[in-house]
Amino acid sequence: MHIMEGYLPASHAIGWYAVSAPFFVAGALKIRKIVAERPEARMTLAASGAFAFVLSALKIPSVTGSCSHPTGTGLGAIIFGPSVMAVLGVIVLLFQALLLAHGGLTTLGANAFSMAIVGPWVAWGIWKLGRGVGLSVAFSVFFAAMLGDLATYVTTALQLALAYPDPASGFIGAAVKFGSIFAFTQVPLAIVEGLLTVIVMDALAGKVPDDQKLRILAGEAR
Amino acid sequence: MSIASLDRIASTGRWRNRPLAEKALIGLGFLILAVTLPPWPGAVFVTAAMLAVTFGLARVSVKLWLAIAALPLGFLIPGSLVLLVQLGPEGIGLAPGGAQEAALLVLRALAATTCLIFLATTTPAADLVAGLRRFGLPSEIVEIALLMYRFVFILAEEATAMTVAQRARLGHSTRARWLRSTGQVIAALLPRAMARARRLEVGLAARGWQGEMRVLSDRARASWLSLGAILAAQAAVAILGMLL
Repeated sequence: MHIMEGYLPASHAIGWYAVSAPFFVAGALKIRKIVAERPEARMTLAASGAFAFVLSALKIPSVTGSCSHPTGTGLGAIIFGPSVMAVLGVIVLLFQALLLAHGGLTTLGANAFSMAIVGPWVAWGIWKLGRGVGLSVAFSVFFAAMLGDLATYVTTALQLALAYPDPASGFIGAAVKFGSIFAFTQVPLAIVEGLLTVIVMDALAGKVPDDQKLRILAGEAR
Repeated sequence: MSIASLDRIASTGRWRNRPLAEKALIGLGFLILAVTLPPWPGAVFVTAAMLAVTFGLARVSVKLWLAIAALPLGFLIPGSLVLLVQLGPEGIGLAPGGAQEAALLVLRALAATTCLIFLATTTPAADLVAGLRRFGLPSEIVEIALLMYRFVFILAEEATAMTVAQRARLGHSTRARWLRSTGQVIAALLPRAMARARRLEVGLAARGWQGEMRVLSDRARASWLSLGAILAAQAAVAILGMLL
């Protein structure tokens, strides 16, 4: 869920930029190191980012409305790792603002925090946790993608509540308000995206006959 | 709106060859004014100025503009209606001053959105990203962003072709099939993207690529006169917005 251009007051916009900046810088340093060691990784990273962007423009059926689009947060985090996803995610968000008028420039910091930082880290954490406790790949992928999406949506609702607290019940009340109004679209979307990501990982697993390719998919870009 | 449509508008538009500095100053300058000035009347002036520039000078089609603006408005409507109600100990009620707060929010968000759409419809995203170098973004990141930009349209076209092929074969006939088809598109797209990246890299390496794309830019440089005029207009909007 992208916060639109101009929705957040200037102080919040700047604040979220400041919160997201360290993650972006850490990811950028990591990419700089990867690129210095292997210049060809630029291409892989660029193709991965473009893939994430195109993925977010595909239409998927949604339970409530006519259709919606996946975020790709969970898939990206599982395949590329969360620290690289922070940078790729910010670039994807920038292109979404400039090519689709989706999201915005003043709200880029806030959107980056929910979609390129919280979502991927949660998805990656759940994926590792799921595999760690012996859950099957399909279940781990499902929960990683679904909870990654839900974490993004909850973060966005909290960001909105922080900017516009309820006159009677303050921050908590506003969080409930924003959370419930967008829940109609976001909760079904998270479940659909979880299922979708399972289908994708399943199909991808069938496409990697040799170790070489598996290594590419599992972490060359990490 | 497909992925390429806004970029096509920007690349074929009347302001395509205006200096980047001018367009960036107009779009970003007014964007800053839109979020910092008091929404009434500041944001109204910003909206009026941006619409005049977008339609009057850059000659963006009104129909296209409305199609682009539909998406952010889909967020704005529920996002502003929320401010009308409050959750108190007695349950849900109308918020005191909620209508005013919602109206101010709508004004500010609309003003900012006109600035974003101005930038998006007059300046190809690649120009703007290339311009980020001047703001001190590391060249590695800018290069990756520009390469990504080149990949986006190729992959989008592949994804569209796959989706069309699936639809023609009843791939979207039920919700479950639709979801499965989309999953298959994504799964087919990733290895193709990686293979394309590898081919491009091999081709460039054979030509002695050192990891930097140098391209000739023949864009006109911004004149101090026009930059000054833009700044003067923005100062006027800022003063009017604060005084009135």
